[in-house]
Amino acid sequence: MEIKHKYTFKDLSKQEVWDVIQDPEALQAALPNCETFEEVGDEEYKAVMKINMGAIQGEFTADVQQVDKKEPDSYRLLVKAKGKPGEIEADANMILDEADEGTELSCIAEVGSTGLMATVGQRMVGGVAKVVLGQFFKDIEKQAKQAAGQ
Amino acid sequence: MNNELVNVTITLNGEKRSADVEPRMLLVHFIRDVLNVTGSHIGCDTSQCGNCTILVNGRSTKSCTLLAVRADGSDVITVEGIGTTEKLHPIQQAFWDEHGLQCGYCTPGAMMASIDFLTQNPDPTDEEIREGLDGIICRCTGYEFIVNAVRSAAKMMNEDNAVKGEV
Amino acid sequence: MEKMVGQRIKRKEDPKLITGNGVYLDDIKIPGLLHASILRSPHPHAKIVSIDKEKALAHPGVVAVYTGKDLEGKINPVPTSWKVPGMNLIETKQYPLAIDTARYVGDGVAMVIAESKYTARDAVEMIEVEYEVLPSVANQKEARKEGAHQIYEEVPDNVAFKYVAGEVTDEDLENAEVLIKGTYNTQRVAPSPMETRNSLAQYNPGSGDLKLYVGSQNPHIHRMVLSEVLNFPEHKFHVKVADMGGGFGGKIGVYPDEALVSYAAMDLKRPVKWVETRNEHFQSANAGRDMMVDLELAGTKDGKITALRAVNHANIGAYLATFGPGNPTIDFGLMLSGPYKIEKAQCTTYGMYTNTMSVDSYRGAGKPEVTFMLERAVEDFARKINMDPVEVRRINFASKEEFPFTNAQGLIYDSGDYVKALDKAVENAGYQELREKQKELRAQGRYIGIGLSSYVELSGFGPSAVAGGIGFQGGIWENSTVRVHPGGTVTVYTGTSPHGQGHDTTFSQIVKDKLGIPYEDINFVFNDTRAVSMGWGTYGSRSLAVGGNAVALATDKVVEKGRLLAAHLLEADVESIDFSEGIYSVRGEAGRRKTFKEIAKAANFAWNMPEGMEPGLEEKTFFDPSNFTYPFGTHIAVVEVDVETGGIKILRYIAVDDSGKIVNPTVAEGQILGGIAQGVGQALWEGVQYDEKGQLQSGSFMDYTMPKANFFPKIEMEFTETLSPVNQLGTKGVAESGTTGSIAAAANAVMDALAPLGVISIELPLKPEKVWKAIQKGGAKS
Repeated sequence: MEIKHKYTFKDLSKQEVWDVIQDPEALQAALPNCETFEEVGDEEYKAVMKINMGAIQGEFTADVQQVDKKEPDSYRLLVKAKGKPGEIEADANMILDEADEGTELSCIAEVGSTGLMATVGQRMVGGVAKVVLGQFFKDIEKQAKQAAGQ
Repeated sequence: MNNELVNVTITLNGEKRSADVEPRMLLVHFIRDVLNVTGSHIGCDTSQCGNCTILVNGRSTKSCTLLAVRADGSDVITVEGIGTTEKLHPIQQAFWDEHGLQCGYCTPGAMMASIDFLTQNPDPTDEEIREGLDGIICRCTGYEFIVNAVRSAAKMMNEDNAVKGEV
Repeated sequence: MEKMVGQRIKRKEDPKLITGNGVYLDDIKIPGLLHASILRSPHPHAKIVSIDKEKALAHPGVVAVYTGKDLEGKINPVPTSWKVPGMNLIETKQYPLAIDTARYVGDGVAMVIAESKYTARDAVEMIEVEYEVLPSVANQKEARKEGAHQIYEEVPDNVAFKYVAGEVTDEDLENAEVLIKGTYNTQRVAPSPMETRNSLAQYNPGSGDLKLYVGSQNPHIHRMVLSEVLNFPEHKFHVKVADMGGGFGGKIGVYPDEALVSYAAMDLKRPVKWVETRNEHFQSANAGRDMMVDLELAGTKDGKITALRAVNHANIGAYLATFGPGNPTIDFGLMLSGPYKIEKAQCTTYGMYTNTMSVDSYRGAGKPEVTFMLERAVEDFARKINMDPVEVRRINFASKEEFPFTNAQGLIYDSGDYVKALDKAVENAGYQELREKQKELRAQGRYIGIGLSSYVELSGFGPSAVAGGIGFQGGIWENSTVRVHPGGTVTVYTGTSPHGQGHDTTFSQIVKDKLGIPYEDINFVFNDTRAVSMGWGTYGSRSLAVGGNAVALATDKVVEKGRLLAAHLLEADVESIDFSEGIYSVRGEAGRRKTFKEIAKAANFAWNMPEGMEPGLEEKTFFDPSNFTYPFGTHIAVVEVDVETGGIKILRYIAVDDSGKIVNPTVAEGQILGGIAQGVGQALWEGVQYDEKGQLQSGSFMDYTMPKANFFPKIEMEFTETLSPVNQLGTKGVAESGTTGSIAAAANAVMDALAPLGVISIELPLKPEKVWKAIQKGGAKS
């Protein structure tokens, strides 16, 4: 399943956005209900997140990897998350573009799932992802603005 | 998981029944597996099929959507409480007369849902009956004879009420 | 007295079922009962690297946890029961729990046995499995392509079998005036009985007897096959079916789960129950259809069809189901030419392994698929030669004078009058007026479609010698015992296995007419391998055509033995004894008589029997019919398509079916109605969804559209009665006809509505989004 999401960071430059989304501490703070977010290797992180949205709920352990980094234009995010409702595997292209109002970040992800999430919740995965990503970017924007002294 | 048991007491088909159960227990399991009243059936996990439909305080309810603890103190009626083979409820008589069942698995739920529906709408059109059965999935009948049964039950119930002088 | 056969008798089964007194498997409780829950693979294809069951085992209330490795050598693989000669079948091993490799989403990986259902399900979640995900394939055509992932080393190109029936040469097609090429796929659907699968096993360590309650349409087949799987002898094995909440083919198959529950009960020496969840049912109950068919149809400009050549890629799943190999090759492959007199027909079937759940019989099992193909193609042909589809059918039908009629692939149809059913359907529909109305509305921008479907079905399984010839691993005769009690009441035993079809009622009608005793005095026993000596179950619309006729024949034998005894007691010639309305009397001497009740007592007491006659009044028949029966009919659907949204509304549905002699019109109508709902469901709404890798995406009734009451208009039904010459009652199968006839009728109606927009073909199910997209493309094939 392909998930597409766009977010415009108002009045922030590509570099300002980039700096925040590359900061593990900022990431942990921005991920909803993220309990831990540790760097386990070069550009590799381990996260524990709680999700509670309708049929999709429970604790997820995620391996997150960043590859193909082209600062401050784009990178690829590889996520493998495992929880009771099933597993999620995502390969996301994150692209930053200059926009009239600031910086536009596009996330184009190919997402696969297993377990209950796949057999029952399939239709909900897209919705849940949108909500999580929305909250995430909103928080990143807040942090970036703080960092930029706005 | 909190495994401390909680007491649930319901009036089931006119009889007070009580048991200590896990707080997460579904009402349908409480009635079927704890109280051993097995006429209501389970056909899905997601509240689509309505085969477990019963009356809780007079309203049709999918008993798989409710925790037993939420029904504590409620008045519950299942298929066992509406009539007997000697004295059938009009809806039972109608399902029999009109061949409204084949395997009989969804039938108790379909009848309980129909009772509530006919209480809300005592003189429905066929189209309204079909809409009224939206909460029930039956795989055997193709629904047509169920629709006939509900129509026939409506007639019987209205005649009964007329005899009793009710509207 | 009026005969009961042919009457609308209210069902005997119902008082129990409408008062909550039915006893379905999950209603049965036995002291000491344990509950099973099965951990299933979330991956379409994965190596099982390790399984850690310690946490689950330590959980309070858990009694045992089994993995595939634990059971290796203790339970045998579950085999298929249909191996058609000449198909070069490669049967792979389906272990009850996967040992090294899981091959579909839902493949059993471990089983927990616990004191309660909730505990068992909790513990399943505590089992930790490390998987190594392997490449996978879900689509059968993809599976045969070069470079496709090989699911089994020993199965080249994932082809489980290849079977060719009939012969059509390239010349036959090339020289044709008209040639139609089309793809007519019937998508995978889930049988979805409202009661899911289940089993309850109880072992008596003292007697060594195993009793298995199981959701089964054929308990004797279950006993026979599971006996092999469990290395447990049939004479100690008692298989019983409780009241059952539907089957539709989904409960024909012998499944791993049933073997597991039986094994656990023996191993733990405690009764074990397993009830499938609906989500599990979507994962691990046999699916239906999933045939991708490419057809070439050759014909003349004046409407005669001359040859059919089909290639059927049948998805059979990761393992062969019980009847899996037979449905596409025999039921589909040999019925290619349907009700038509077509010189030549050829069907090549590829049975394809994929990383999906197994495919087995689902209501009609091959016949709905082939009828869909043929009837869609006939309409395409009619459109191409600009002839009315009714006329094309009429031109090509086998005529009633030609019966018994041999079809293009050698099957001999018992009896038929196809024109009669077609004419009746056309008349009931008011076909000409509908066509005019359609034109009128089109002018107003409304898109009405009229779709026909004429079918003939292979039903009433069947002659056992033919079963042997087509590799069906069993007989398909039926047996009946009629036992007359001293008081004159009767218990009848037969090997068909009803679960909603109303055999108790219809079979009693047959017995009542023969014995003349009160209907209430007749009782039936089914679904029990200890009570019924042998039998082959309920599928292939065989219960009445074979089982009902076995009952009739056994009852006749009772009447004849009674006649001998009556003659003896009345001191008269046997030839002079009449039997009518339950009374044996000497012809011409009404006073010299014995009632059936008196004869029952006399036979059971045996104080005064004729020389050489054994005591008792109990007769048994094994009825092996000389042929299958071939019900037929024509369905007409009228739909309106909303071209703005792609939404479809069924305006009318007209069905004319011929199932031979109708024993109980109400019950028969019920079968047709239920069948139509499933067929139209397939055409418009239902569909099991896997992604390209085999990840299941339709695991609940939220994700899989089940037809509901408000999806349908009132169905306009009628029967014609063309008796079958191959059984005493003249009956044919009826239960699958509604489904077989309706898929194409609904689909043809939609395509007819869209024809002016240039839309030629849309894959089933015809959901609004697909229809809308096809309309937008305007004529491009979607």
